[in-house]
Amino acid sequence: MVNELTGWSQMKSLRLSRLLVLGMFFLLIVLMFTSYIIAGWFSAISVGKGVIKSNLTGAVTAMICICDIFALIAVASLHKLLSNISKDEVFIPQNALCLRVISWCCVFAGLTMTFFSLWRYEFLFTAFFAMFLGLIIRVVKNVFEKAIELKSENDFTI
Amino acid sequence: MAIIVNLDVMMAKRKISSNELAEKIGITAANLSILKTGKAKAVRFSTLDKICEVLDCQPGDILEYRKE
Repeated sequence: MVNELTGWSQMKSLRLSRLLVLGMFFLLIVLMFTSYIIAGWFSAISVGKGVIKSNLTGAVTAMICICDIFALIAVASLHKLLSNISKDEVFIPQNALCLRVISWCCVFAGLTMTFFSLWRYEFLFTAFFAMFLGLIIRVVKNVFEKAIELKSENDFTI
Repeated sequence: MAIIVNLDVMMAKRKISSNELAEKIGITAANLSILKTGKAKAVRFSTLDKICEVLDCQPGDILEYRKE
């Protein structure tokens, strides 16, 4: 369907989403290899407090690497989700599984950041947002599962 | 499910093929197959109406309840 005013179509929107997911994937790969440099920058400018005061750079590097793995898994799931949607396969169990994986990735990233808040309390804020995002995606997953059930019922109504 | 679809029995009695029946009642052969094999979760009254009209029968001739 094409919007008459903007000329923007659903297909173009999907293509943009896939492009953004691809961009995010490469960004995460770069982040993985530059985590130590970024952690160094963070240590240099960080003025916050934490329970543990030693080796902040190492802790932040470990946090970035662990969270990066979860983000990569989430991005891979997003890619799978978008490719299924572009094939007109929206309400299928595999998509619900993708959302479930993304939701758990957010929760685990949140837990990781909670642990690393021992070095800097500020990480608790990002941990809260990650867990909140995980919760939202979990609810969307529940909606998806219900939609799959309804679609199956509809498909088998002759 | 306890509801048995006896559509194939009725079709045999009326000597009508699946494709012909599907065409006459306006559903796809795949959907008729779902109905015949008992995989369907629900049947629309409109579909039942057309089946009864084409096969000249009653809904009870097609659907049967058997206690499990």
